[in-house]
Amino acid sequence: MASVIAREVRDGETVAVGTLAAIPACGTLLAHFTHAPRATVIIINHPDYWPFRGGSKEFYDFAQRGKIDLFFLSGGEIDRRGNLNLMFVGDHERPRVRFPGGAGAAMLYYMPRRVVVFRAEHSPRIFVERVDTVTSPGSTPLDVVRPGGPWKVVTPLCVFRYDPGGAGLVVESLHPGVSREELGRRTGFAPAYDGAAGVTPEPTSEALDLLRTRVKDAVARIYPRFAATAFAR
Amino acid sequence: MPVRGHVGSDYERLRPEFRVISNPWAPTERVMLVPPIVPDVALIHAIAATRDGTLLLDHMEDDALLAQASRTVVASAERIVASEELRRTGDGVILEGIHVTALVEAPGGARPTLVRGVSPIDADQIREYVAAAVDDAAFKRYLDRYVYD
Repeated sequence: MASVIAREVRDGETVAVGTLAAIPACGTLLAHFTHAPRATVIIINHPDYWPFRGGSKEFYDFAQRGKIDLFFLSGGEIDRRGNLNLMFVGDHERPRVRFPGGAGAAMLYYMPRRVVVFRAEHSPRIFVERVDTVTSPGSTPLDVVRPGGPWKVVTPLCVFRYDPGGAGLVVESLHPGVSREELGRRTGFAPAYDGAAGVTPEPTSEALDLLRTRVKDAVARIYPRFAATAFAR
Repeated sequence: MPVRGHVGSDYERLRPEFRVISNPWAPTERVMLVPPIVPDVALIHAIAATRDGTLLLDHMEDDALLAQASRTVVASAERIVASEELRRTGDGVILEGIHVTALVEAPGGARPTLVRGVSPIDADQIREYVAAAVDDAAFKRYLDRYVYD
C-alpha cells in the first residue's frame, strides 16, 4: 500500500499526512526519498515534517486556503460513490457503531487538489453500497466551492480510481494474486472495472529497502509501535 | 465562522446550528458557518509559567487557542520561573497571562500524556487506561488504583 501511495506523490507538490495515517506517511516519505525530493512534506506532529507553530488551526487554515495538493483520508465506511463515514452507524442518539468523528475530514475532502483514501481492512463492512452517515461526500452540488476531492482508494486488495463523471469507484488495478472473484467477495458492492484494469506493479527492491530502513526510522518518531511491527519480513 | 467544505454532507442534517448561507462576496456560492465553541473552563498544562500566569506551551498543540476560546482558564505548570527565563526559551509558544484565570505549580501534572522536552508519553499507562475503559468494573478498579488510593 505504501509503495502504491508513493506513486501518487508528484515532485514539487505540497503533500500532507494527517492523524493516524502511518501507511500514507510511509508512502509519502518513500516518494520524497526517491522521485519527489522537492515535494513539501507535512506530517502531523512529526518533529521533522510539521512546519507550523500555531497548532492544528494553522494547518487547517493552510488547507482551507487550498495550499495542499495531496492529502489522505480513511473511513469507518467507504461506499462506491466515494462517500466516507467517520461518524457513526445507526441512530444519531444511540449509534450501533461509533467511529472517531469527522474532525476536519469534511473540509479536507474538498480543498486539497487530490485525496487518496486508504484503508488497511478490505471487507464488506468497510466497503459498503451506501455509507450510513456521510461525513465527507464523494461529490457535491456545483454551487459549493470544491477545488479537489477523491482521487484514488488504496486497499490491501486493489486500487480504485474515482470517476467524477458518476461511476464513482472504479477498479484501476488488482494487487498481485488477487482475483476478481476474491475482490467481489470481500467488497460490499459489485466492483466496477476500468476497461484497462490490470495488475498493480510490485514494489521495486529499492523501494522495499528504503521502506525497511530510512522510511521506517522516520515514521518511528511518531509511530513507534507501527514501525516495530509493520516492517517484519 | 465560515468553513470550506461540509456543504452536501450529513452535517447539514445532524447539526442544525451549522448554517448554510450564500457567500456575501460571491453570492452564487453556498458556504457553511459554524458557531464558536466556548468552553466554560479549560484545563491546560504548561511547560513553564511565570507568577502572572504567562505560560510556555507546546507549539505543536492547540492549548493557546483553547485558552483564548474559554471563559475560565486554569493552568498548571511543570515549574514557575522568572519572566526572563520564560522568554529566553527557544521551543514552545508563549500565551500571555491576560488569558489565564488561575495557575498552580504541578510537576507531572500532564501524566500520562507528553510534556514536550520535559517528559515522554507514558504509552503503557495509556494502554492500561484503554483496556480498563471497556467496562465499568474495570474502570472503577483503574480509578481506585491510580486516582483514589
